[in-house]
Amino acid sequence: MKRKLPKILLNIHVFLVLVFLLAPIVVIAASSFTQSDFIAFPPEGLSLKWYADILNHPEFIESFYLSVRVALGTALVATIIGTLASLAVVRYEFRGKEAIIQLTSSPLMMPTVVLGIALLQYYAWIGLAPSTTALIFGHIILAVPYVMRLVVASLAGFDRTIEKAAMNLGASPLRVFFQVTLPTIKSGIIAGGVFAFITSFDDLTVALFIVSTDVVTLPVRIFTYMEWQYDPLITSVSTMIIMITVVLMLIIEKILGVGKMLDPKKD
Amino acid sequence: MGSEIKGNKSNKKNIKPRNKRSKKKFEHWLLLIPTLIVFVFFFIIPLIFLGVSSFRTFDSVDGIGDTWTLSNYTRFLTDPYYLGVLWTTIKIGILTTVICLIISYPVAYVISQLTGNTRNYLTLIMISPLLISMVIRAYGWRIILNNNGVINNFLMEIGLIDAPLKLLYTEFSVIVGMVHVLFPYMVLSIIGSLERIDPSVTRAANSLGANQFRTFFNVTLPLSLPGIFAGSILVFSLTTSSFVTPAILGGSQVKVMAYLTYEHVQVLLNWPFGGAIGFILIIIISITLLLYSRALTKLNKGVTIQ
Repeated sequence: MKRKLPKILLNIHVFLVLVFLLAPIVVIAASSFTQSDFIAFPPEGLSLKWYADILNHPEFIESFYLSVRVALGTALVATIIGTLASLAVVRYEFRGKEAIIQLTSSPLMMPTVVLGIALLQYYAWIGLAPSTTALIFGHIILAVPYVMRLVVASLAGFDRTIEKAAMNLGASPLRVFFQVTLPTIKSGIIAGGVFAFITSFDDLTVALFIVSTDVVTLPVRIFTYMEWQYDPLITSVSTMIIMITVVLMLIIEKILGVGKMLDPKKD
Repeated sequence: MGSEIKGNKSNKKNIKPRNKRSKKKFEHWLLLIPTLIVFVFFFIIPLIFLGVSSFRTFDSVDGIGDTWTLSNYTRFLTDPYYLGVLWTTIKIGILTTVICLIISYPVAYVISQLTGNTRNYLTLIMISPLLISMVIRAYGWRIILNNNGVINNFLMEIGLIDAPLKLLYTEFSVIVGMVHVLFPYMVLSIIGSLERIDPSVTRAANSLGANQFRTFFNVTLPLSLPGIFAGSILVFSLTTSSFVTPAILGGSQVKVMAYLTYEHVQVLLNWPFGGAIGFILIIIISITLLLYSRALTKLNKGVTIQ
């Protein structure tokens, strides 16, 4: 009994932390079903009217599509260039390697606001109008560090004798890459791509500086709506996004398994 | 002339193997080129532009001037108002780090003791908020902490308070939101260091007669210090540089450096001053990281001696 007490306390603690972590998400999801015209938790009555109300706000749907486009573009480019750079960093010894690792991971520690203003000013200077492309390049900078971390981690445990064996058997370097290397580090690359997608989809700060009337991503739309209004519409929009995220995570879990998804991030 | 050609030939011979070597040397640059181009054009050059403009004059009529000045920096460092914002930022950073550490260590400890699926699923739930948009999470906290929010309604219903407490737009609400966002980073970092502890060490301590508490405080905790420090560095620097959560939960009432930067750039359109604030923020974060990593190496030495 005496020995069990700390264990019970620990379990209570873990439970409370779980409640803390899930609280804002549960509150949003629950209050999106309210019948009232104001945000209520617990919801008053049960209705889907705030989901129907999304249809009265096509700007949210447009912003959603824009966010998906930007995030897909970011994930595609960041994953390709990040994977190539990871190969260089893991497989070659060269001067300036440390500097390159530092450079490509520095956006993680840099305040995103600073990158936001820097890009705003730079784009103004070179005369590049706010556009999807302009935003994608900002997001690539934010996403490459994640991609590289995950791909480098999956490359680190890679047994190169398999590649040598393939080459000895007469495979060309390109064939070795596509048929041996790529399939082996696939999970790291997919995880990197998913993180790049989420990084871009979630970004408010950089997008806030690059927005124009045509380029308003979903986080920016929600942020500006919130400044003026406080109604359950945002809870239904948010719940939709949460559901999409959960589905995405389940798909990833099916492809990769939880463990593999988490391992590279441990460090 | 003949000798010159000869000389050239012999030179070529000398160069040829070098060429081959440099070709091999060039391979990794080929792999790096795409990333480097993107980073040069969309990261380094923009930051240099920003750095340059932070030393430029500004007035609201003509915009950015073309004379050099230090006034953007001196203005910040001599004005108690701006220094107050800096202090708020650092204070929120420290408090968030400490609270994150206190609540995440026991969780990390429990997870590291588990095996198999339970462990995987618990870890997944612990880090799952990470994947949900920060804007949405901050919005959820708004619903909870608002004057007519969940907490105030509950406290009034049970009769503990008569008037709603002001929870939103306070340092408290910003810290709650920041802990929520950064908890996964701390937990993962501590789990990592707890896992690296050889289980035979704790078993040895137990068999030598140390009880669970003693084993924990004399063996496990010191050996997990690297994870604690790594997590703390990460959480502190991410808190001080974050914008979204403080903007939504603190706004202009609890101003932090990132919000101040945003305000000067997007509202007052004073880019040079905004740039200067941004760079001061970067410098502060870098100094803290440096001091912290020094402490870490010192502590690490202490741990290995033990």
